[in-house]
Amino acid sequence: MRAGSVGLPRWVRRVVQVAFLLLFLWLVLATWATAETMPGTWVKAFFLADPLLLVLTGLAARAVPLVLLWSLVTVVVTVILGRIFCGWICPLGTVHSLAGWAFDKVQSRAKRHDAYSPWQKAKYYVLAGGLAMALFGGHWITIFDPLVLLYRTATTAILPALQYAVEQTAHSIFQADPHLGPVALGPVQLGPWHLSRLSEPVYQFFRDHVFAIPKQAFLGAGLVWLVFGLMVAANGYRRRFWCRYLCPLGAMLGLLARWPLLRRRVNQEGCNQCGLCLTACHGASSDGGGQAWRPSECLMCLNCSQTCARGSCSFGWVSLPGKWTSQPGKKEPALAPVGLSRRGLLWSGLGGLVGLAALRATPQGRAKDYYPPRLIRPPGARPEPEFLARCTGCGMCMKICPTGGLQPAITEAGLEGIFTPRLVPLIGHCDYNCTACGHVCPTEAIRPLEVEEKHQIKIGLAAFDPTRCIPYVYGRNCIVCEEHCPVPDKAIYCVEQEVKLRNGQTRTLLLPRVDPDKCIGCGVCEHVCPLDDQPGIRVLSTNETRHDRHQPIPPEVPGQEDLPYG
Amino acid sequence: MVDHWNRREFLAFSAAGVGTLGLAGTGLASLVQPQAQMAIVRWTGPVPASLSEEQKVAAKLTEQVLEALGGIRRFVKQGDVVWIKPNIAWDRTREQAANTNPDVVATLVRLCLDAGAKRVKVGDNPCDLAQKTYVTSGIAEAAKKAGAEIVYLDRERFREVQIKGERLKTIPIYPEIMEADLVINVPIAKHHRLATATLCMKNYMGVVEKRQLFHQDIPTSLADITRFMKPRLCILDCTRILLANGPKGGRLEDVEAKWTLAAGTDIVALDAFGAEMLRRKPAEIGSIKKGVEVGLGTMDYRSLKPKEMTLS
Repeated sequence: MRAGSVGLPRWVRRVVQVAFLLLFLWLVLATWATAETMPGTWVKAFFLADPLLLVLTGLAARAVPLVLLWSLVTVVVTVILGRIFCGWICPLGTVHSLAGWAFDKVQSRAKRHDAYSPWQKAKYYVLAGGLAMALFGGHWITIFDPLVLLYRTATTAILPALQYAVEQTAHSIFQADPHLGPVALGPVQLGPWHLSRLSEPVYQFFRDHVFAIPKQAFLGAGLVWLVFGLMVAANGYRRRFWCRYLCPLGAMLGLLARWPLLRRRVNQEGCNQCGLCLTACHGASSDGGGQAWRPSECLMCLNCSQTCARGSCSFGWVSLPGKWTSQPGKKEPALAPVGLSRRGLLWSGLGGLVGLAALRATPQGRAKDYYPPRLIRPPGARPEPEFLARCTGCGMCMKICPTGGLQPAITEAGLEGIFTPRLVPLIGHCDYNCTACGHVCPTEAIRPLEVEEKHQIKIGLAAFDPTRCIPYVYGRNCIVCEEHCPVPDKAIYCVEQEVKLRNGQTRTLLLPRVDPDKCIGCGVCEHVCPLDDQPGIRVLSTNETRHDRHQPIPPEVPGQEDLPYG
Repeated sequence: MVDHWNRREFLAFSAAGVGTLGLAGTGLASLVQPQAQMAIVRWTGPVPASLSEEQKVAAKLTEQVLEALGGIRRFVKQGDVVWIKPNIAWDRTREQAANTNPDVVATLVRLCLDAGAKRVKVGDNPCDLAQKTYVTSGIAEAAKKAGAEIVYLDRERFREVQIKGERLKTIPIYPEIMEADLVINVPIAKHHRLATATLCMKNYMGVVEKRQLFHQDIPTSLADITRFMKPRLCILDCTRILLANGPKGGRLEDVEAKWTLAAGTDIVALDAFGAEMLRRKPAEIGSIKKGVEVGLGTMDYRSLKPKEMTLS
């Protein structure tokens, strides 16, 4: 190998890739708040390293949280080293590498010939469309950011599936174990050997250290699985299909990697254009016999330099101009361009705008006048258009929500708001003293709040349903909702009413009412209502603080309570 | 009688026999030296101004109230597994008086361990998230420091139990609590909009699940679960009481520091005392009336001649 060249065995890259994937998954698990502590900014490290989020959020929202400027490090690294982020760091890229490795086991290798395809330009046009959309306030393309995709998949699909498997297995063993016996007789010991002695410690480890809350599950997990499954399956058609053809972050890094300082060199005398190097190429960055090289497509896996049987292929730092002249005849080889056409860019930009208009063709898209009643956004969420201009739908807020009530919207917020968080009180309420969602949001679509400020924010308003609520309908006292109402002086209060029962006796009923000035819309009332199918009280987005124009019930003016309805 | 007993019948029979003997023994002992059924201890010294003073006062009150009942050894035997059941329901601090005083719990843990308990467990089925209430209330830290095991109840490990109550036929109960040799019930006295007051009987709502249904008939439900739990020792924490906006509270204006503890074996009597602390008449409270009706105890706690003491 020549001096100044970079040669690394493949296992080094593989170890690094797996390490970053494990780090990513560990950060998913570490997105966990306790009563006193919340994870630091490091927990969103991958998102902070993502220049696509910086650019698209910056364009769409005309502002970015300063921490996202960390992604400039990725920009600098890419300018120097090429798409090393894609080949070595990106955890979704590693998932595709692993999928490709698995497909290699079952598919014939002979047909593999990973030469460049012009279709790989598609991702740049996707990016162009996304940028055009972002320029006019649309942020939609970030739901396809690879880090966002993998975070969402891990949080809302993979982890809940794992949790189901672990919990269900342990519960089945526990329930079937004779060791416990009928409780009325006390514990009946039948000797020391019981399956639950093995299963319970495992279950307890997962319960206490892996799963944040029991039975966590997410609406729309099937859709997330479907997208993920298709992405992985596409590797069977072409390895790293996603990275080569579609990934918008890959496209952005590809443009930055146009003239990297680390470059592939092919020794013209040695190379017989056998094309062996192409059989292991991750990015399909070369064509012909393997001599031409497109740095924008190269994932810097360095496989070509390892597979070349003649040692003719290597990577090395670009020579300084002075060096060229001192070594006559040795010139830096020309770099193949990305090859985007102006016409293509215009069309894709136009496509982005048409897409944006299409997204906005729904009432939800015109968020200024239409307020979906069950679209309860987490506390600190910005007004809907601004929120959508920032939210990537990554799912960090859903992962950290201690009640599991934050769920991905599937249809509620329109296609533009797919996978964005909304509170589903039947699944979990908004904990009174918790500010975790805003604390972890990488793009501050949910503002970080102090507890005192959070207590002042209304995310909705509860309303009793007098056709469901037990005291109203069935003449029995209940008010579990009042008991749980976390507002210190109670947003739910009771009016006493004497009712005659059918046997002639009278009963004093406590009929619950909501004080709209005090209710913050946390939804605990709906969550604890004994009617667990269609609760007697429901939270709607009425009076949510974030929308000035969505305040149909103005506050009562002290001293004027009897006006204007006299 | 049957010719052959199976194992289960044998176990049941022997348990009954041993129980009868044990009861007879206890009865005999009480003939020799009648033991107090109830004790009330009040702090009349200067109002504790700092956390460490509060801790000292709470510890003294707890020690004294048990001493007045004849000492913790009356209830805790060598090698016992004890479950202490405080109220840890809400994500509120000690000053907000929505949960049992952590120092009372911690002192109780220490006394049980000193009396020879093998293990002391502390746990409750809270209303707010357990990982929050256990910490915010201060109970987890204080009890752990005193040597207790902190148990977070696992929703999936409750078992449907036949309790054959008047209203509740079966209810999911936490098995680990039932398996303890002694359950000490340590609630805090609080206002409750529907039940009027939440006291000792209502504290048993923290050993079960599906309890939202209780609200439609709190008195009978509480009597059912209390009868099943067979209370042997209850300590009613009135160090701070919550007079309004209960049971969750949150406003310091609704809290009153009383620095009083009551303990006893008659759960209804203790609840009656608690009702008076909350400025209510015992007869106003449904669960107390129901408790008397089904023979769980007496509403007229003074008839038990409680040992009343003051500390300063």
